[in-house]
Amino acid sequence: MDQKELQSFQEDCLALLREKTEGQVVSRRAFLSTLAMLGVSPALFRLTPARAQARELVVVNFGGDAITAMTKAWTDPFNKTSSLKAVIDGSGGTSAKMKAMVESGKVTWDVVDRNLAASLELGRQNLLEKIDYSIVDKSKVRPEHAGEWGLGSYIYSNVLAYQADAFGGRTPKTWADFYNLKDFPGKRTMRKHFDGQLETALLADGVSPDKLYPLDVKRALDKIKSIKKDVIFWATGAESQQLFRDREVTMGSVYNTRAMVAKAESKGKVDYHFNQASVWVGGWLTPRGNPAGKEAFKFMASTQEPVGQVELFKMLGNGPVNPTAAAMVPAELKSMDPGSPENYKIQIPADPEWYATNSATVLNQYLEAIS
Amino acid sequence: MTADMDAGTRRVYLVLLLAPLVLLAGLYLFPLSRVLWLSVTVPTPGFGNFERLLTSSAIHNVIWTTVRICVLTTTLALLIGYAIAYAALHLRGWRGELLLFFVLLSFWLSVLIRAFAWLTLLQSRGVINTWLMGAGIIDAPLPLIRNEFGVVLGMVHYMIPYAALPLYANMKGIDPRLVPAARGLGAGPVQAFLKVYLPMSLPGLISAGILTFIFSLGFYVTPALLGGGKTIMIAEYIAAQINDTLNWGLGSMLATALLLVIFALLAVMSLFVDLRKVFGVK
Repeated sequence: MDQKELQSFQEDCLALLREKTEGQVVSRRAFLSTLAMLGVSPALFRLTPARAQARELVVVNFGGDAITAMTKAWTDPFNKTSSLKAVIDGSGGTSAKMKAMVESGKVTWDVVDRNLAASLELGRQNLLEKIDYSIVDKSKVRPEHAGEWGLGSYIYSNVLAYQADAFGGRTPKTWADFYNLKDFPGKRTMRKHFDGQLETALLADGVSPDKLYPLDVKRALDKIKSIKKDVIFWATGAESQQLFRDREVTMGSVYNTRAMVAKAESKGKVDYHFNQASVWVGGWLTPRGNPAGKEAFKFMASTQEPVGQVELFKMLGNGPVNPTAAAMVPAELKSMDPGSPENYKIQIPADPEWYATNSATVLNQYLEAIS
Repeated sequence: MTADMDAGTRRVYLVLLLAPLVLLAGLYLFPLSRVLWLSVTVPTPGFGNFERLLTSSAIHNVIWTTVRICVLTTTLALLIGYAIAYAALHLRGWRGELLLFFVLLSFWLSVLIRAFAWLTLLQSRGVINTWLMGAGIIDAPLPLIRNEFGVVLGMVHYMIPYAALPLYANMKGIDPRLVPAARGLGAGPVQAFLKVYLPMSLPGLISAGILTFIFSLGFYVTPALLGGGKTIMIAEYIAAQINDTLNWGLGSMLATALLLVIFALLAVMSLFVDLRKVFGVK
């Protein structure tokens, strides 16, 4: 396991797919042949001279098996019609690398898989190109997912998951139940990065969803501190799932993708719901001065097609961002789609604006509060 | 170099030395100097970042956690390492070698594997708690891991070889006839140890202690895995500043401060022992 202090959602999807791959959901062979077709391993990309090949468009994600998923869902269909060849670099588009790249003037990436909050944070530091909405179709995403520097690419959520048999037939329904150790005994797990965590504390404290942002950080941290003794903080998605598997915790604030797998492998003993969940949007962004120029936005536009988005949902578990794609999700998977109209309306969208402005300071406050 | 070496040979030696020096300067010193530079130039030139060492409660918190855990780890690793080194030296024949072999064995295991092994052993439904509960000794699982206790346990386990091996080397240099001589002159066993053996092994204890402490300062994986997310040491905090908050000035300031502390510790250590010996150059 890649033990990163603050693993991103994308990295976790890969870890998840990798685990599934060992279980033959996606064949190892398919993955290896994809790599062979690409002719390189993701690790090699980092060693090649820092310049994209002339006729290539470099799409950066968090590597490993997401190369398979995004190749099938997005780059293969794009390459059928484009003169440029989209290739995936799986070395991980972290903020630190993008900042170093743009500031040194040696940009090698065209499209990067991150989220909308990051797009605002980096965009304001003048590290990104603005999304060109004459190429990308604004009508294929909800209005709040068409950002100045970032375009919504898929949906994921921070949900409440629980051991269904731990509370004598009672079911925790809200975050208030999560913070109620008396009626719902047992340890909890929360994410070690504060994305989506402060929201749980404030909702439990009775703040109404429409008044959630700007987050009252102090109030939230006090609430979290009140149960901290009984909380184990997870750094990687795999860890959060393992805590449920080992029955170390009775409730957790975790990714919907992990909750989905935990539910399946425990045959329903671990369950979850989207009520009061905070819903996040993965986003495409383009580093300033990218080598392929406007072609980057043509690639983004191609990923707005519902077919590819549903394909990605089936493989990685993160929901289609294009509202019309929700209808194309197979009936048996609909309840698991964080972007379905039923699930979307009971969740609370994380405010990228608030996160972009406050992330840097509040992350340190959060780390201080939980340690 | 010997005096009778001719000029040609001397040139060859110099060129051979130059290559690694250039490599070190280019790949190590240059990037390092950039880190130092960042700490006094980002976000604004000056010592603003270093001021936060004094003013930020979050940083105090992290430093206090780090120091507390490192002192505890060093003390325990020294105690256990001392006992192991002493036993390895004084056990007859193969027994001492076997003991050293076990110390080396754990030395060769990856830090990740060890952390996961501790998790398997110590978690609520782990081997130890299951056994204790099955035997009726306890009713509820003991909190052995995902807290500071777990972190210190994992770190001590990792650091024991770093404490035991230098101590062993030091004790080997102590004349084995001194303690019997003290006993012959009327000292009791405890007195002979405290007045003769311990002072003789003190340089070993100090250098092993400083070495262990320096290594402990940079721990990252063990606290992250065994601390339940609640034990955040300085290495982890620096990583968060570089990767997540993009506060490179703060991150590089902490890295610089850490480096300075380590240099200071090495300077103290050099008063007691020959550093070249400790790092195996001599």
